[in-house]
Amino acid sequence: MKCLLRPFAVLLEVLLFLCLCVPFDAAQTAQSTARADTSSPPIATVTIPGPLRSFMRLASISQKVSPEDVLPLLARNIYMQGYRGGVPTEYLILLDRYVHQARELQILAGSNNTIRVASCDDAGTLVQILGYRLRQGCGQKNVLLETANPERAFLTIDSGFPLTELEEALQSGTPFTYPYPATQVPALYRESDWVSLNAGERRTFGNLLDILLSNPSIARLYWALTKNDAETSVALQRSVGLRKLLPFAPTLDFYGSQICIRSGRVITPGAPATDAAWKDLVGASPDAPGDFVTHLLAKDVGWLAAYFDVLARVNRKQQVHLTEGPRLKHLYEAFRDPDLDLTATRGVFRKAPDLLVLFTRLEWQPDGELRVPGGLEVWKDIFQQKSNSKTVHDWAKRARSWNQPEQLLEGMTALSRVENESGPVRIYLTLSELDKERSPENRLSAETVRLLANKFSEFGDWYLVFSEFPDLNDASISRFLTLASSMEGISNLALRGNALGTFQANVGLWQILARQGEIPSAQINASWQKMMEPFARISSPTQLFDAVHASLGEILLASSGKPNRSQDEIVDLLASPPQDTPDGQRIHQEMAVKIRSVLNDQRLATLDTLFALSDGLKEMKPGGATSERLLALAAELHEFEMPRPIFTKSEKISWAPKVYSSHHAELQVKTDLTKVIKGSASRSQLDSARGLLIPFLRDTLVGLNYAYYEPPGAQVLHNNPLFVRSHDFSGMSIIGADRPWRAPVLMGVGTPAGGGAYLMGSLADLSYALAMTEQDFIAPENVQALIWKELAPALLVSATLPRWWTVSPNELRAVALYQKGGEELLIAAVKDPPLREKVIDILSDRMAPQRLDRISQSLQRGEAPAVMLPRMMPAETFYLAVEFRQRFPTENASLGKPGLELDTLSQRYPAEVGWNRLSRDFGVPHPTLARTNARELLNMEPVPFFGGYSSRLFGESWESGNLYWARLADELGYPPVMLNRLVPELTLRMTAKIFATELEDWPAMLRAMQETGQELRQGKVAALPLSNTTISRTEPPAAERPEK
Amino acid sequence: MAKQYHLLLLCLISLPISSGGTAASAQEDASRIHVNVVLVQVNVAVTDRNGNYVSGLRPEDFVVTEDNISEKISTFDEGSEPTRRLIMSESTSDNSVPADPGKPDSASSDPVRIPTSQYAGANVFILFDTSNYMYKEFVFAQDAIADFVRSLEGVNQVALYSYSRNLSRVATLTSDRSKILRSVRSTVAGDDEALYNCLLLTVKDAAHLTGRKAIVVFSNGPDNASLVPPEDVAELAQSTGTIIYMISTQEAQKEPISSAVFERVSKATGGKAYFSRNWRDQKQAFASIRDDLAHLYTLSYYPQPNPNRGWRAINVKLAGKNLQKYHLRTRVGYRLLNQP
Repeated sequence: MKCLLRPFAVLLEVLLFLCLCVPFDAAQTAQSTARADTSSPPIATVTIPGPLRSFMRLASISQKVSPEDVLPLLARNIYMQGYRGGVPTEYLILLDRYVHQARELQILAGSNNTIRVASCDDAGTLVQILGYRLRQGCGQKNVLLETANPERAFLTIDSGFPLTELEEALQSGTPFTYPYPATQVPALYRESDWVSLNAGERRTFGNLLDILLSNPSIARLYWALTKNDAETSVALQRSVGLRKLLPFAPTLDFYGSQICIRSGRVITPGAPATDAAWKDLVGASPDAPGDFVTHLLAKDVGWLAAYFDVLARVNRKQQVHLTEGPRLKHLYEAFRDPDLDLTATRGVFRKAPDLLVLFTRLEWQPDGELRVPGGLEVWKDIFQQKSNSKTVHDWAKRARSWNQPEQLLEGMTALSRVENESGPVRIYLTLSELDKERSPENRLSAETVRLLANKFSEFGDWYLVFSEFPDLNDASISRFLTLASSMEGISNLALRGNALGTFQANVGLWQILARQGEIPSAQINASWQKMMEPFARISSPTQLFDAVHASLGEILLASSGKPNRSQDEIVDLLASPPQDTPDGQRIHQEMAVKIRSVLNDQRLATLDTLFALSDGLKEMKPGGATSERLLALAAELHEFEMPRPIFTKSEKISWAPKVYSSHHAELQVKTDLTKVIKGSASRSQLDSARGLLIPFLRDTLVGLNYAYYEPPGAQVLHNNPLFVRSHDFSGMSIIGADRPWRAPVLMGVGTPAGGGAYLMGSLADLSYALAMTEQDFIAPENVQALIWKELAPALLVSATLPRWWTVSPNELRAVALYQKGGEELLIAAVKDPPLREKVIDILSDRMAPQRLDRISQSLQRGEAPAVMLPRMMPAETFYLAVEFRQRFPTENASLGKPGLELDTLSQRYPAEVGWNRLSRDFGVPHPTLARTNARELLNMEPVPFFGGYSSRLFGESWESGNLYWARLADELGYPPVMLNRLVPELTLRMTAKIFATELEDWPAMLRAMQETGQELRQGKVAALPLSNTTISRTEPPAAERPEK
Repeated sequence: MAKQYHLLLLCLISLPISSGGTAASAQEDASRIHVNVVLVQVNVAVTDRNGNYVSGLRPEDFVVTEDNISEKISTFDEGSEPTRRLIMSESTSDNSVPADPGKPDSASSDPVRIPTSQYAGANVFILFDTSNYMYKEFVFAQDAIADFVRSLEGVNQVALYSYSRNLSRVATLTSDRSKILRSVRSTVAGDDEALYNCLLLTVKDAAHLTGRKAIVVFSNGPDNASLVPPEDVAELAQSTGTIIYMISTQEAQKEPISSAVFERVSKATGGKAYFSRNWRDQKQAFASIRDDLAHLYTLSYYPQPNPNRGWRAINVKLAGKNLQKYHLRTRVGYRLLNQP
């Protein structure tokens, strides 16, 4: 029991220190510190019957969480999973049954907390409680346990009771002993507070566990309050009280975690300058926390709280802009629903993700005005969209009389509440990002903005290309949109599908080669336009074949100086830019082999065969002699076979009626050019025969794109040879599909007779679609762990879309040094209060109040580096060091040795180790958050989870992975180019190790990443043997140094 | 397209023995074709009309053809008997012939006994469906699997995997049955069912093994989350020489897709599907699988030159009139797997 109580001692110590809020200044911190002893919540514990491990299994809580997180997560799971339509779910029923079973076993275990069975004859009660029986009686040979009561047996198994050990003991006649202690876990406030709150309910209980199990409202309130920092929690209880807070549990849950009370006042976004405005808006002063919070939660059915939450999450620079003058009030007036038809807490996910993205990404002019791509006049038109939404109609009317950007901001704030994937807000976010990186002379013209906005609903997903390559000018953008639109006019469905597929595949290849720097920036526009031009007039398959060939030739000419390259050479170009080191050449070869492996497994015809066949048919004279060479080439097309059928055609029709994806592949099987080659074909027949090659050409070009973005651990790409061929570009496999240029969606999942999953849509955002496809093949390492669909694809994309061919050793070193420097700062801050204030102040811009509070407490308590540092995310230590060096350039000594080395590197190689370069090379793509696939470190507080489209925001805000892998590479002496292999492999392993309880479980990701790193350090990653070229040049991480 | 299979073979090359049809390559030049193929292994169950296993057959009782080309049996064994090496593949100027790396001095064409370690006993992967569909019967299915594990005799090693939407490698191959039994009892109920995804991963794990290998799936279906179709899994299992047995209940037969797939995939790989009344009534299935693994004839051959780079049909027959009354169950072919 002593060891079980240890966490509570630690917690007690923790809670004696003051917590911090964001945003706030250092003076407030110091003030708060002085009040620490009066602001901590009282310590309470709750008894969990039976081993904690078993309880957590039944409660769907990760085995890796600490005891203090058990009750919050339990409360969360109960309200999230425990009821459907007010009726308890199977989850809750089982959990409730388990608690009863565990209490029975607890009684059996007695005061020694140990279940003992001396012999088989003694096992009856235990076996009965467990829901089993002896198949043969005691004393018989092969005594076996079998299910007697399936309900109980299920609990026994699901909770991990050692049934086999019991069985073996019974068989061998040896005693069975199993420790069965009850577990004390910390609780928020006193247990009696919750018992009182539950008094008057239909079912009353004397302990918190039963209350949480029976009362989802209280469970939700409990979960919500545990997301606040300690001082705020106490203040809320004292100033408002649990009973008054209970009706606001949903609002508090969704939008309450940023509420921060310090020294008797609420810290408002933009404080203290904005206190009066907030008082006006909320109807209560921030100096009266109870009133303020109650009013905030109650006002406008939660929408003001949602607004407050978003403003509290953005960084201080944005807060200053957004709360300036009357803007705070005006924007809220725009944001709130005048009719209040919909509460801000309806549904499972929090609302208005677009408001958070908008406020995070807004760009301001030097004069403080909003930046408006293309000028305000265009936006007045853009707001005149057709819509069924009354809000959109209202703002369309208002827009007509706009004369300043502020009104546009208000309009977008209003529409951010309306879910519309092609509405003005999404258009603004995209075009703003697209315009942002452009040089002043290359800004988007009003006409281009108008065109882009008009075409957004159709082609918006392709705008990621324009934001990734800001050098693409208006003419290039316009040409793309014109051509893409013209393809929509191709009436022949098959031809249109092939035209879309080949065009997009070539654009995809261009993108890869431009991203890898193989297309010189001076040729960006020319190569782009030349690549597209052949597609201007498509009326037949033969014409399309020639257009694709010519287009590919332009890409190759721009990237390699020659228009004709063999497929092997093209694969080499895609694999990497030319490498001049042995390591670089080795990794290049590996990448090329990977690409070829996908092409082979998809059984795709080679470009060499297709172009040779086309050339041969072109050169053939009508009625001329048969060419053996052409016959051999034609025979190669026949090598593709459909998989051996398991279902008959009629079975397929009746068992998978809505999925028919293999039409394209079946046509290929039927293609036979030998008759044309052998016979006396006319010129037009020979030309038509060339047109038959276009489906093959499409698949190979599409296959090259698929292969390039292959996620680590991919299986479908290697085992379903129809996967590439089944890509449905024109939406022909689903009736009613009408958005062929949008990002692809995964179809055909779970339809065994349908021929397997496939992608429908365009090749935009292909890397994400492939990651979405392949993530189901990752096998979680922990029992009960899940591969989170909302998270894993974003992680995989961060590891597959970026490549690291141009990273220099100095860059790699700098990335590691910044992380170590950040750690040194934290260590130094333990004994240096002024430094601590600076550190906390910097971190406050990217940490939620509760987390910042915990870090602050660690520093004040002087926690050992080995305990404190593993809780820091690499992106945080990296950001801390970068910001500190920038804000306090004369205090670099605080960064210790890493700081000194960084100084030297910065002086000698300023371009290599500067922020921009590191952000570009070690950042991650943010296609949802920043509307670009360009890599960047955004350095923002983790984005909360939103449902639907916005679920990707959460994964994209995880920026620690690549930074950490780079640090490991530096530590273990890998050359930078090795990142191309390390990052995908380590990310895959990390994903398999994630053992999370909920969607926003950042600590679980951090844990999984560190475990993966540890395996690599120990040489346990077979695919990644430790480098034999260099010995570690650095000291072990501070977290792993022996304690002094 | 042919290029992917080309390997420049300027001299005779020996390749490791494999149980499937992997690593085939061909080189066409002006004068000849060099073919380089690994050993193809075929497991054959021979039964009489009552379903009883027929034992004691000799190598010469079997006739094997691949794409109608007669093949010479290279190794032969029955059940857990030691494997007999019958021939070394012929070496001709047109045929680069692999030798058994384990028997470099074996030039005789006489049948010889080779050590049992390579083939004796089977490796069995148990794949347990823990999806929602199994929820009500979960504990009974666990009991059944535990019984099955206890019943396995003459089996080298057993692995236990479970799956719902994702695969969980609960226990990798081990000869420690107690470990497997503990693993059975440590499985937890899951959510969606991605049988074919997870079966594919299991086949791939088994593919690396030499000798007899089988996957025994305990599932009621239906699959609602897989991305790969059963056709691909069946082909891979056939190409890697992995036998798939499906153990299910009559509940599964209410769903025609699952029952059709279970029957056909297992049949195509030389296995069988069993649908008993419930999970408590699987004794017959267990006995059948156990007997199957104990009585299979395992033949292997080095394929004769064959230009077919796609699906190759295997046909196994019994020679002689007296033997025509018996039934044979084996895989029906394989596809050459690409080597990058």
